[in-house]
Amino acid sequence: MWLMKEQNKEGKTMSDFDVIILGGGPAGYQAAERLGSNHRKVLLIEPQFLGGTCLNVGCIPTKTLLHSAKLYLHSREAAAFGVTVEGLRYDWESMQGWKEEVVTKLREGIAFQMKRAGVTVIEGWGRLIAPPQGTEPARVQISQGERVGEEYRAPAVLVCTGSVPLLPPIPGIQNNPAVVDSTGLLGMREVPQNLVVVGGGVIGVEFAGLFSAFGVPVTVIEMTDEILPFMDRELAPLLRKSFKEVDFRLGCRVEKIEGNILFYTNREGKGEQITADRILMAVGRRPQIGGWGAETVGLDVRSQGVVVDEWMRTTVPGIWAAGDVTGRSLLAHGAYRMADVASRDILAYLEGEGSGRGIFRMRWEAIPWVVYGMNEAAGVGLTEQDAQRQGIPYKKVTVPLKVSGRFVAENGFGIPGTCKVLADPHKGRILGIHLVGPYASEIIWGAALILEQELRIQDVRELIFPHPTVSEVLRDAVWAFE
Amino acid sequence: MAQVVVMPKQGNTVESCIIVAWHVKEGDLVQPETPLCDVETDKATFEVPAGVAGVVLKLLYPEGEDVPVLHPIAVIGEAGEAWETALGQKEHKEDTRGSLSARGQEEKKLGPLPTSPEEAIPGRAMHSASVESSSQEMKPSSPIPADHIPISPRARKRAEKEAVPPYHLSGSGPEGRIIERDVEAYLEKRPPLTAAARATLIESRNSGSPRAGYGNDVSGEFQELTSVPAEGSGIGGRIREEDLSSFVSSQGKEKDRSFPPGVSQKGAFTSQKEKETPVSGPEGPIITPIKGIRKVIAERMWQSLATTAQFTLHSHGSARKMLALRQEFKESPEALGLRNITINDMILFLVSRLLLQYSYMNAHMVDEQLITYQDVHLGMAVDTPRGLMVPVIRYANRCSLVEISRQAKRLAQACLDGTISPDDLTGSTFTVTNLGSVGVESFTPVLNVPEVAILGVCSIEPRAIQGPGGNVVLEPHIGFSLTINHQVVDGAPAARFLQALVQAVEQFDLWMAL
Repeated sequence: MWLMKEQNKEGKTMSDFDVIILGGGPAGYQAAERLGSNHRKVLLIEPQFLGGTCLNVGCIPTKTLLHSAKLYLHSREAAAFGVTVEGLRYDWESMQGWKEEVVTKLREGIAFQMKRAGVTVIEGWGRLIAPPQGTEPARVQISQGERVGEEYRAPAVLVCTGSVPLLPPIPGIQNNPAVVDSTGLLGMREVPQNLVVVGGGVIGVEFAGLFSAFGVPVTVIEMTDEILPFMDRELAPLLRKSFKEVDFRLGCRVEKIEGNILFYTNREGKGEQITADRILMAVGRRPQIGGWGAETVGLDVRSQGVVVDEWMRTTVPGIWAAGDVTGRSLLAHGAYRMADVASRDILAYLEGEGSGRGIFRMRWEAIPWVVYGMNEAAGVGLTEQDAQRQGIPYKKVTVPLKVSGRFVAENGFGIPGTCKVLADPHKGRILGIHLVGPYASEIIWGAALILEQELRIQDVRELIFPHPTVSEVLRDAVWAFE
Repeated sequence: MAQVVVMPKQGNTVESCIIVAWHVKEGDLVQPETPLCDVETDKATFEVPAGVAGVVLKLLYPEGEDVPVLHPIAVIGEAGEAWETALGQKEHKEDTRGSLSARGQEEKKLGPLPTSPEEAIPGRAMHSASVESSSQEMKPSSPIPADHIPISPRARKRAEKEAVPPYHLSGSGPEGRIIERDVEAYLEKRPPLTAAARATLIESRNSGSPRAGYGNDVSGEFQELTSVPAEGSGIGGRIREEDLSSFVSSQGKEKDRSFPPGVSQKGAFTSQKEKETPVSGPEGPIITPIKGIRKVIAERMWQSLATTAQFTLHSHGSARKMLALRQEFKESPEALGLRNITINDMILFLVSRLLLQYSYMNAHMVDEQLITYQDVHLGMAVDTPRGLMVPVIRYANRCSLVEISRQAKRLAQACLDGTISPDDLTGSTFTVTNLGSVGVESFTPVLNVPEVAILGVCSIEPRAIQGPGGNVVLEPHIGFSLTINHQVVDGAPAARFLQALVQAVEQFDLWMAL
């Protein structure tokens, strides 16, 4: 369909690539790999580091540090399991070194993947200057710092510009050395003496868990009356109670920050204040919708992200978007899937299959989520609140993890653990699975499979769960239904 | 009380009829004599009258559907009445009787000759447009008449387990019976279902009661999920529960909802498009589905050539006397009624007499058996706009020439008009086909199985022969092409029959005395 050479001979415009991808995060590099492996000429434009937020300042560095924190905490509590550790101490600098090593290794891995797939990677800031029109390809200009560089053309463009931390309009947070975002906190030379976290979402809770494990006094200020608002209301308090050392202040509204002092209004409407060495702003992230030419090419962009359909098509033919920039799911695994869907659709488009919509499309309702820490939480599908809000009939069971032999052996009875399952009251189709407990993150993919396959209670009862594992709680849960 | 109109049983050998056209639509007021629709058997077209007065509540099949005889085609009742109730009751009644065994009984009767009315299955109506009234005490079941489908118990079990509607299956077993293999073939084509979608499909087929969420159309009326989309939105194209419900509602938007979806024996994914005939592109070839009479002819012809050893002999004889006689008939007083006797009538007459002497030609070969008949039921091929038809002159051997002539005229006209009764189209013991009137000098007629012989009548051409004085003279000769089934008739006996025919033609006047 795209006869690059012929067009060139006739003196017409020429496509340098089949696809140009803006952004080298999970969505961008995954799509580049998929498209490149299908022998498409792919240009990946990334301003900083391959791997995006997830690898460089998100999922991976936090998991690296969390692992160190777990080792430290477990060692400290090892006496209860018959192991005495003497001279226990942690070294933040070495941890940072290990973190850097992990991130660098993985980043090199992505670079190698790009090379193997024949993807051209250019460091710079890509900006759409013209959408594809008829047989005319889209045009993308790359700037490097101040220098406006080359212009490249491709019939298809995939936008994966990701998201940035959201800074709320709180007086006194600008240019305040005490106030940091997650990126800043990860890169700190020393462990803060004490920490205030603004925002009880995934990022806030993970950092709270991380630093409290090292004995840092941590206070979490959350505006709503419970942390992790997307979690089932029955399970969120259980997870909160796992962070024994963290001081959660719920229903509190931050008013202003003066130096190291944070002023807030508590649940009763009373003004209070707290002093902290560092204040982490973790109220969420917003899609990076500006700076790459969305307005120039006329994309439909809302404040929550670039509007896409189930095939990740934007409102402009020839332009796709995937990952955080769509605002549909700000999770790396959501981005991977979006990239797969977009790649498949782009391949069909390039092969001239036109507007035919494949069966390979994005299903938003079975994206699992995970919260990491000393304890873990994970879920997929409807929470009880979702079902009530949407008027979907359901029945539910809640089973404590104390039924799991492995859980008790490794944790005793000190930490909470629960499995909650929602199902259709007539047909028994599983509607939601939620877990609080160790290994929850590694179990939840199976729950996603159960939902995607629309298995019913009686179907899951036929599965064999390995023993002794924490995953067995799922079997116990489906048998607990009447 | 709602009344079910069933596909009338047309004669004893017709198993199903095609609904050619509906003359009424749902909601129309009808009288007992109001024609509901035209139906076509493999050989003829009929009207089905309503049989009762009332409002047409439901038409159960679209035009073009092949419906087994005695199966419901429409429901007539009072305005606002639920048509499903009447049907559910009827279905139940048939179930208790055992539709499979009833069908088997019918099949055994597919003998060569018409069975007498006394042998008909008790309780089954023999007239056109039989009407069965419903009673209330029976439990309503599925509104789709599906129980007529011959299916092996194994296949039925499998189909139920896999939520496959039997009427989506085409049977490849004996006599089109659905066997397990057919279910498997269907499953290979169908995208996989999720566990919940399968359960929903099975449930929708087993229960007639509405269920929350799925299977309800806008009006709240229950609709069986008879069809599944060609691809689902789940993993690897798996069909999810949502796909079933959205498919039903989108079907409702796009299709005429007056017919149950998927009532078709053409296969799993029969689309509305396939039913339109003919289909053609702007300049492309015209594609016409082979169905109705054409399909029957196609099958019979193939069956004939595939199952018999056909062997054709050609001969000719002087038509001088026949032509002279024909001239005399034409000039005869009108009151005698002989003016319309044709050459073909005269051949039919001769054949009907000759066959009595060569009874091995007046026979059927059925299942390793040769059945030789003592009377001659003479089939005559008639060309009609809808295709070849073969009406039968019964007891031709007992009819005079003029009687044969009159019968032939009447039957041919009925074929052309489409009013021929199916009973007039079955039971021939020997067939005569005539292409001579259109100048064909010789051809190879195809046996009308299970008959063992067919006579082709060819054109009358002048031939040079040696005259009485030794000189060459021209004489009109009529040609004959006789095809026999060499399995049961050898060449020499066939030739003897042909020779006798030629002699009889040449001495036609003598045969008039017989």
